[in-house]
This record gives sequence, C-alpha cells and structure tokens, in this order.
Amino acid sequence: MKYSKTDYSTLSPGKKLAVKYFVVAIILFGAQLLFGAIAGAQYLHPGLFYNTLDFNVVRMVHINAMVVWMLYGFIGSVYWLIEDEAQTELVGYTLGNLAFWILTLAVTVVVAVYLLVQIGPGNQLSLWLINEGREYIEAPRWADIGIVICMLIFFYNVSATFMKGRWTGIAGVLVLDLVALAGLYLAGMFYTPNISIDQYWWWVIHLWIEATWEVLVGCIMAWALMHLLGTPRRIVQTWLYIEVALMFGPGILGLGHHYFWIGTPEYWLTIGGFFSALEPIPLVAMVVHAVYDAGKHDFKNRNHPAMAWLIAHAFGNFFGAGVWGFMHTLPQINLYTHGTQWSASHGHLAFFGAYASINIAMWYIAVQKLRGDVPFDSRLPHAWRWKWALALLNIGVLGMTLALLVSGYEQSFIERAIEGSTWAGYFKAQTAKWFVQGMWWRQFFGYATIAGYLLLVWDLATIGKTVSQPASGADKLPAHQPAVSR
Amino acid sequence: MTEPVFAAHIMLATLSGAMIILFGAFYAFFFAWSRLKNSASHALLAYASYAVFAVFTLVLARALHLSGHWHILIGLILLGYWLAPYGVWRLCVSTHAHEKTQATTRTRQTRNYKFH
Ligand code: HEM
Ligand SMILES: [Fe+2]
Repeated sequence: MKYSKTDYSTLSPGKKLAVKYFVVAIILFGAQLLFGAIAGAQYLHPGLFYNTLDFNVVRMVHINAMVVWMLYGFIGSVYWLIEDEAQTELVGYTLGNLAFWILTLAVTVVVAVYLLVQIGPGNQLSLWLINEGREYIEAPRWADIGIVICMLIFFYNVSATFMKGRWTGIAGVLVLDLVALAGLYLAGMFYTPNISIDQYWWWVIHLWIEATWEVLVGCIMAWALMHLLGTPRRIVQTWLYIEVALMFGPGILGLGHHYFWIGTPEYWLTIGGFFSALEPIPLVAMVVHAVYDAGKHDFKNRNHPAMAWLIAHAFGNFFGAGVWGFMHTLPQINLYTHGTQWSASHGHLAFFGAYASINIAMWYIAVQKLRGDVPFDSRLPHAWRWKWALALLNIGVLGMTLALLVSGYEQSFIERAIEGSTWAGYFKAQTAKWFVQGMWWRQFFGYATIAGYLLLVWDLATIGKTVSQPASGADKLPAHQPAVSR
Repeated sequence: MTEPVFAAHIMLATLSGAMIILFGAFYAFFFAWSRLKNSASHALLAYASYAVFAVFTLVLARALHLSGHWHILIGLILLGYWLAPYGVWRLCVSTHAHEKTQATTRTRQTRNYKFH
C-alpha cells in the first residue's frame, strides 16, 4: 500500500483550513512563551528593556498571544472535526479562508502596533488604533470589529455545514456555545470611562473561560474520544449535556468572585463565594465518568501522544481550575490573595491545563492524518520526542505554578495581611526572600517549558515521517470514520 | 458576618481548600471503582475519603470564620460532593444500558450492588 506523507493538498476543505489555523496557533504559542520569558526576567532584572519594552507591554503581548492562539486552536479544532461530525464537506471554504487571512493580518498589525507604538494619549484615537486597555482583550477597536466579523463568518460556516449535513448532539451544543461566545465578544467592546463600572467587563473574560470555553473543549473532547477510542456516541453526547448544565449552573454566577473588591455591593461576596465554591463539583464528578468508561471498555488507541495530552487535559483542568481555583475563591481569603502572584499561579495552571493541552492533542490528531494515518503507538520511532515534550511542558508549567504559589503566598501574607496593603508593604513583599526565590524558580521552570515547546514543534514537524505502513490494518481503526476526508 | 482569615491561618486555609477538592475527587474515584468492581473494600476507601474531605471542609470553615449564612455553603459543599457522584453514576449506567457487550451484564450486577 502506498501512503502519502504530509500531503496537505489531499485534505478536505475543512481540514485544510484547520491546518492553517493550527500553524498560526503554534507560532503564537511560541510568541506567548518568548514574551513570558522576558516578563519573568524583568521581575529579576527590573532594568531589562526599561523604556524600550516595558513590563506592561511585554505582559500584554504575553497574555494576548495566549488568548489569540487558543482561539486559533479552537477554530482550527472545530474546522478539523466538523466534516466528520456533519458527514459532509465544509460549507463556505472561500469565506473561511478569507476570514483566516483577515484575522491573521489583523493580529500581525495589532502586535506590531503593540510593540512599535505601545502607548498613545488618553483619547478615542488611542482606543480605536492602539489599545483598548482592558486586560486580556486589549485589541484596539478596529481589530475588535474585524474579530467579530471573522467570528460571524466562522459561525456561519459551522452552522451552515451542520444544516447541510447531519445535525448531532455535539453540533447543537457547539452552535449554541458559539452564539454565546460571539455575544461575549460583542459585549467586550462595551466601554465606560468609570473604572469601577468598567471592571464589570470581567464577566466577559470569566464567562469565556469558565463557561463557553469549558463547553467548547467539552465538544472537542467528546469528538476526540469517539475518534481516538471509538467511545460510543450515545455516551459522550449524554455526558456533554450534563456537563453543559453543570458548567453553566455554578459557572455563570461564579463570576461574582471577580466582583469582590471593585466597589460592588456586599452581597457579591455571598454570590461570588457560594457559586464559585461549587464550581469544582462538575470537575470532580467527571472522575466517576472517567472511571466508568475506563473500566467498561477495552479501548484501542492508535495515537498515543494525542491520548496522553487528553489525559493531561483532564488532570490539568481538575488541578488548575478545580484545586487552584477553589483555594482562593472565597472572599475571606481572596481579600489577601486578590491580584497577587497567587492569581498568576492559578491562571498559569488553569489555562495550560485546561486549554493548551487539548489544543496540543488536536494537533497530534491532525498531524497523524497528514502523515497518512500511520499509527502513533508504541512502535513509533523517536517516541522520546513527544514524551519529553509532554514531560517538559507539564513539569515546566507545574513548576512555574508552584513557584508562583510560594511567591503569591509570601505576597498575600506580608503585603496584604501583615502590612495592610500599603505602599511600603508592597515593596517589603517584593523584596522578601521567599518571594524573590519563587520568582527565580518560576524563571527556571519557564525555560523548561520553552524547551518542551521547542521539542514539541520539532516532534510535530517530524513525527511518523519515517513510518511507511499502517501497522494496524484499517479494520482496527475506531468505528468512527470520516466520510469526506480523503 | 464575613470576616477575613487570620494571617496565621492563610496557609491552613489554602491547604484545606486543596484537600477538599482532592479528597472530593478521591471519594468520587473510589465510589465509582467500588461500584464498577462490586468491591466493598473500595467502598470503605470511598467513605474514608469522604470523611477526610468532610474534616477538611470543617477545618476550612473554621479557618475562614464561616458563620451565619455561610453555614449554608458548608452544607451545600458537604451535600454537593456527596451526591454528585451518585448522579453521574446513574447517568453512566443509563447511557450504557443499550450497549450490546458483556458490559451490560456487569452493569446489571453493579446496579444491584447497594452503596449507601
Ligand atoms: C479553566 C478554567 C479557568 C481558567 C482558564 C482560569 C483563569 C484565571 C485567570 C487567568 C485569572 C487571573 C485573572 C487576573 O488577571 O486577575 C483567574 C482568576 C481567578 N480565578 Fe480562575 N480560571 C479558571 C477556573 C476557575 C475556577 C473553577 C475557579 C473557582 C473555583 C476560579 C477562581 C478564580 C479566582 C477566585 C480568581 C481570582 C480573582 C481575583 O482575586 O482577582 N477560576 N482565573
Ligand atoms: Fe472567574
């Protein structure tokens, strides 16, 4: 049998688009890590790039690169799975391709302006052309509009494809989730000069990451389990519904944990505390389902790296969002931890654990197809590469998380609890021995993460290239077979 | 009624917060395992995990001065983590009911097994 290697041209339209999105996602992932490393180094050497590339700019690029690469990754993942799911070819490839280039051009210009122009006068012009000034969604207004248009095209393509082909449970959840997501992007453009009221925009971010993105990865996970393990559709689908209910249940009002200290009425302490304290329950309850399925089925799996990253996702979501989220979510303790390195500790583990991991799993699923569907199992040559990439990335992020927790604890304790959030207290904490050591360890593990990233890129570029035959016959493929991808 | 944690108890509150989620998950894990394998010893481990979970919930409640209406939250946490695995288990069993593998027979067995 002849197997085509890395033959992009033979992919179906949806998968072609997906690969484009994945490539940009991987590049931006690298940018995120690079700017993260610079920002970390600036904690250790405060003079680094002073007045050239200040910390606020570096941090902004670090965070925005992450949000945008994950968005690219998710769009790519949906394009990758939609044809299999809808059992028909993608509707609107040309439009989707156009949107891809518009979005990518916009992102490039926005980053260039961030880096070269950086700041402007406090007026409407800066808001429209340079920076909107909102953490995580700093993109200037013109780019916002561009992003919304691209999201609408994406939304159109996805729903039209499902309409034309097959409408499944995953499709329903996905389309509803994209409506919510698009709504949030529109809401993110709301603006008021009152900083206290403006802080309400946080509900946008919170609902992204703790509701809509969580449901989105639920859809991707459901599809990936069917694809990789042949898990029956009925199971993943029913499971998806309950997950949606649980996530949107405590998840929505859980946003109150961002309203504790922004000048809102005191009842927000209760709302935010109650609902967000219950947010980890779905994550914990998922354990039951995982055990059940693992025990009931004898799963065959031909893509070990993808499966490993899906497992990393399950654990990462549990620890990053569940454990690390719960630790500081009650106002009685959040009073001290709010906005310290503690928040950063949680942010790193949650974003990486819940969202970076599942994107990486999808990249491995895609790259397997590009290599002619050869098995990525125990017979895979150079398997050390994906294993070490997995280990370095996970140890790196976990190490950063623990280091940041130590620094964050020190900061909460000294600056907040002892010194009462004074100016002097701030510096006392920033120079405290354990705080500083924590920042050094963070930097060290940051480099480990970067090493893992480089290995990952190398692995994705080469994995399976030397394998020439599908050692497991087509009969061993999971039951689910793509209808259109050739 | 909402009093912040004492500085000296920040560490304790953090640790107990982490332990609550961890042992909540252990409970869920052993709960599912005991039903799947029909094993009483795993059921015991599930109870033990829940007990540790409950103790840490109370420790957290003390450390964070949870009083007044915050007592309701303690109750919800104790109840929510206790019941959620039951709900998910039922869901799993019913979605697998039509599967035509030997798993079906096992499902029936495990259904009969009582886990209090
Ligand atoms: C995958 C899901 C999650 C992600 C990606 C995530 C990410 C983040 C990030 C990046 C921040 C820092 C925000 C800032 O810049 O100030 C944050 C803050 C926070 N998160 Fe999460 N989070 C997730 C889930 C959760 C869950 C489930 C909980 C509660 C159990 C939680 C509780 C909190 C709290 C209390 C804060 C700090 C609020 C503050 O003090 O300002 N998070 N989260
Ligand atoms: Fe949140």
